[in-house]
Amino acid sequence: MPIQAPTRRLIHHVGLEFVRKKVTGGGHRATNAGLSLTSMIDFLVVTVVFLLMTFSASGETPIAKGLNMPKAENTLDMIDAPMCAVVGSQILVDGGQAGNTRPIEESDRMQRIDELFNILKSKRELWKQTHPNKDFPGVVLLQIDQNVKAVVVKSVFQTAAFAGFPNVSFMVNNLPKSHT
Amino acid sequence: MGGVDVGGGGGKGKRKSLDSEINMIPMIDLLMVTISFLLITAVWTHMARINADAQVPGPPRPDVEQEKTEPEKQLHVEMTAEDKFVLVWKQGATTVDSIDVPRKDDVNMQGAVEVVRYPDLAAKIESEWKAKGQHSNPTDRKLDQAILHTDNKTEFKYIIGVIDAVYQTHREIQNGPKTEKLPAFNITFAVN
Repeated sequence: MPIQAPTRRLIHHVGLEFVRKKVTGGGHRATNAGLSLTSMIDFLVVTVVFLLMTFSASGETPIAKGLNMPKAENTLDMIDAPMCAVVGSQILVDGGQAGNTRPIEESDRMQRIDELFNILKSKRELWKQTHPNKDFPGVVLLQIDQNVKAVVVKSVFQTAAFAGFPNVSFMVNNLPKSHT
Repeated sequence: MGGVDVGGGGGKGKRKSLDSEINMIPMIDLLMVTISFLLITAVWTHMARINADAQVPGPPRPDVEQEKTEPEKQLHVEMTAEDKFVLVWKQGATTVDSIDVPRKDDVNMQGAVEVVRYPDLAAKIESEWKAKGQHSNPTDRKLDQAILHTDNKTEFKYIIGVIDAVYQTHREIQNGPKTEKLPAFNITFAVN
């Protein structure tokens, strides 16, 4: 194939001469401008590649409203587990009410939260009934606001452990790594 | 329209051109639909988790004779003082070593979230683990234990800052034919 000088690639094959003259300008400036498809396709391909690379198949984790979670660098990937959130003075398990933190804050003493304990224990028993031949992973995810006091964190942590969930994970926002 | 001619103008007379025009419209449509789908389903906030182990002892087994083993060294991280952290290596009830690390809260605002970091503490814990850590062999899957002591009033963001500093120490662990870099410590809270 002979080497050709780069020219317009579109419209040159229009059969009718008067139409071709009209659309290419007929000696004047063309009314229809040629569109360079190469750069457009390049842009689309780069966008698709970027979006595919940042795509997350695990979906979005529901976060309780009004919750500012802390950020951390050395984190693990999310897993599917019961979600326990501390929002204001409320404790929620998978969106349902599971206790209140006010008695703990008032007494300033670490204590077991009975309502949370019972809900987590029933979740554990339900899991064991539905998965009779498997070992219980005992994982619970805690969504806790950055300003919650340590006495509440430790009470929820210990209550979860006593209810049969010793592998506690704190949910955080992921920070990019600053060290090598 | 919307096609790309890949040449073929050099043929003689009535000879059929070997090259043909590729219709670009379906390809552009496909790219547009893919971009729309990926943009709609994109998750822009990346959540993650920090693990902690509650170390609940199992039920006693009177039928199984318990072997008496020497207790392992554990790193106690005390953050009760306002001006310093105290790193204490303990073996059972015996204190092996105690190190003070000046407390410098590196706090940055990122939106509504205050990011707390302790780079000095992380560096000290790493050097301590290299000197006194008991599980450093890649074939050893057991982790060294760190225990966090905090007072009741400390806010959660400072606790996460310290846990993050503890987890900055990584070591190689063999997982089948390949080795992975994982945190060297497993962390839990002290009951006090």
